[in-house]
Amino acid sequence: MKVLAIRVAIVVALLGAWEIVGRTANPLLYVPPSAAVPALGRLLARDSYPDLAEHLLLTLREILVAYALAIVAGLGCGFALGFNRLVGRAYGPILAALYAVPAVVWYPSLMLFFGLDAASKIAFGFLLGFFPITLAVLAGIRQVSPQMLVVARAFGADGLTAFRKVTLPAMLFTLVGGLRTGLALTVIGVIVGEILGSKSGMGSLINHAYGLFRTADYIALVVVTLVLIVGSDALASAVEHRAQRWTD
Amino acid sequence: MSELIVVEGVSKRYVTSSGPVDALRDISLSVGGGEFCTLIGPSGCGKSTLLGMLGGLVTADAGRVVVDSRPVERPDPRRVATVFQDPGLFPWRTTLENVEFGLELQGVPAARRRQVATDLLGPLGLRDFAAKYPRELSGGMRQRVAIGRALAIDTPIVLMDEPFGALDEQTRVLMGEWLLDIWRRMRKTVVFVTHSLHEALALSTRVVVMTARPGRIKSVLELPMPYPRAMESSELVALRAKLWSDIRDESLRAMGEPHP
Repeated sequence: MKVLAIRVAIVVALLGAWEIVGRTANPLLYVPPSAAVPALGRLLARDSYPDLAEHLLLTLREILVAYALAIVAGLGCGFALGFNRLVGRAYGPILAALYAVPAVVWYPSLMLFFGLDAASKIAFGFLLGFFPITLAVLAGIRQVSPQMLVVARAFGADGLTAFRKVTLPAMLFTLVGGLRTGLALTVIGVIVGEILGSKSGMGSLINHAYGLFRTADYIALVVVTLVLIVGSDALASAVEHRAQRWTD
Repeated sequence: MSELIVVEGVSKRYVTSSGPVDALRDISLSVGGGEFCTLIGPSGCGKSTLLGMLGGLVTADAGRVVVDSRPVERPDPRRVATVFQDPGLFPWRTTLENVEFGLELQGVPAARRRQVATDLLGPLGLRDFAAKYPRELSGGMRQRVAIGRALAIDTPIVLMDEPFGALDEQTRVLMGEWLLDIWRRMRKTVVFVTHSLHEALALSTRVVVMTARPGRIKSVLELPMPYPRAMESSELVALRAKLWSDIRDESLRAMGEPHP
């Protein structure tokens, strides 16, 4: 209850400060909340951007495809490297080094390879989501205590059974954490990709409004995008909590 | 007495980064049904390796290991159950679910295995802890869960590799008394590895003393006295002295050796 009160106070204070700054500054660049709220209304009423739904759906579709690819490739790569000691030792450090490179440096080449449409956004979202998932699988496999695997073997488990009954549950929490980070980064990748160069999707609308100094519309679009991001993370967080309750 | 476990001329050599290590050399031993046979000896004498061979987790370089008239090639959870020093409980499973683990692997239906595990909780002293997770249990309780997991699959043979090694002295003595009670009621054949003279003398029908590396059998002590044993009786005090002198020699030898 107290936490909630403090949270509300912070939001109110921030909005208040924003309102004051927005009213006194250049109205072309700074828009107070009192002007942003009507803009959000116009956006949702399909007044300012009548094709909002199509753009939103396209962004969602790009995120879903990129995330699905990141999961498949991340799990595949992670398990291949994690269960094969030689390959893991050869490629593990390279992977970690690549993860440290700011991913945005790859984006121009992705646009060259995949064009300006959805494919390059999917590729960028995939690239960002792939690494944390792979690294989480690797970390998860390292976490499984060898003693638990010895116990499973002593009680008659073959390789597959030991994987199902021991390895997977033992690494589940780390794995789900990686999947959550992967989703957040995939979403970021797709939207950043759209902002950097695209004719459709939420990022392109943001870019459009911002480029035309339609600052109130721009803020309204950002709010809608934020809801999308926060919503997907809330979903992932709920899954993570379930996994946490189930595991240690 | 029918020989349930027969070990003949078994040797094992490990290859380590600092060269080969002879863990066991030419061990022969047999254990009859219903025995409580204890292996005792200095650290690194290959006791755990020998136990691993009986359980099918370690293969011998030479010689043969026969359990229940079949050569051991791999773990056989219908004949042999193992309890390890590190209990290796599954942290995402409750006490009951941990005890059920072996039955689950054998494909026993859920209702049946739940019944077996629940019936075991009483003798394990864990009735009030069925729904607890390992992190909520004390060290002694965790080890009882591991013993319950081994008893649940109801094998004629139970191997125990220093099951109480990580417990404090008081808990250890009480756990020994508890185990003795369980063993006498369930009529299992137990092969038990320990460092504790007290445990060996209080629990065993036979004590096998092993030499420092390479592990060989130094002496065998038969203990026909009834249970519970009066540890202060002149007979046991004399046996303790004999056992200690055998183990002392080997432990000194083991200490003189550089560690691999």
